[in-house]
Amino acid sequence: MQTDTLISDYLKHLEEAAARLPARRRLELVDEVREHIEAAIAARGDPSEAEIRNILERLGRPEEIVAAEAETDAALPAMGGEPAKRSRFGLVEVAALMLVTIGAFALPVIGPAAGIGLTWISSAWSPRQKALVTGLAILFVVLPIVMLMNVSSGPLHIESSIGPVQP
Amino acid sequence: MVQGEARNQATQLRRGLLELCVLAVLRRGESYAFDIVRVLSEAGELLTSEGTIYPLLARLREQRLASTTWRESASGPPRRYYRLTDAGRRALVDLSGDWMRFRDAVDALVAGSEEATRAD
Repeated sequence: MQTDTLISDYLKHLEEAAARLPARRRLELVDEVREHIEAAIAARGDPSEAEIRNILERLGRPEEIVAAEAETDAALPAMGGEPAKRSRFGLVEVAALMLVTIGAFALPVIGPAAGIGLTWISSAWSPRQKALVTGLAILFVVLPIVMLMNVSSGPLHIESSIGPVQP
Repeated sequence: MVQGEARNQATQLRRGLLELCVLAVLRRGESYAFDIVRVLSEAGELLTSEGTIYPLLARLREQRLASTTWRESASGPPRRYYRLTDAGRRALVDLSGDWMRFRDAVDALVAGSEEATRAD
């Protein structure tokens, strides 16, 4: 009888530790562990109390099992797992910023377009930050066009001023 | 924060390796959780807490890397048997490739540091 109490205490402890999990998964997990204990008992025939203790020890502490559950993707959002999924500011972000700013002058239109592409594949920026960088990129696309228009109106003046001298 | 990140990376590494091991066990054929645990224990100290296999198996089901079927058993209640899906087989190939590259890099570094120690 002592062994039955050991097992039911363990399962109760597991159920309590799993309180944070969605109800369905909690019940399923307790069932899985209960079946594991039953299979271990069946594999040993008629285990002694010490053997039962060994089976439970090998399973690990209930908190440990629940912690492994929290590491799975499904449980992450509920436990503030966003930092784990979002990576740090890296090469993609630096390249995107450079293409959007300097790139707009070095490679008009193509630079910022590539920058916008990189911005949206970045896993470090939030959608709001991505929108901000995209806005910046559009600004830097417009800017060189305005400058080009000024430049192209420049030579026209020179031509007209040179024109009369030519013949 | 840095400590938390290091812990997170250690967790990721352990989790990834265990996942690779479970997928490798399943490649041998359909098995139920208790059998998978037994194979992992016999192979070495791969699973320090046997109970943590259940969260991992739940994730494999969720990601459709493994499919399951319930079967009657001679002793006790029906058992859930796991088998690899095509996606699971592909994940196994990817993960073993990652593991081999990682292992080779670590081996090379460790061998290099041993040589350096001898030269000193």
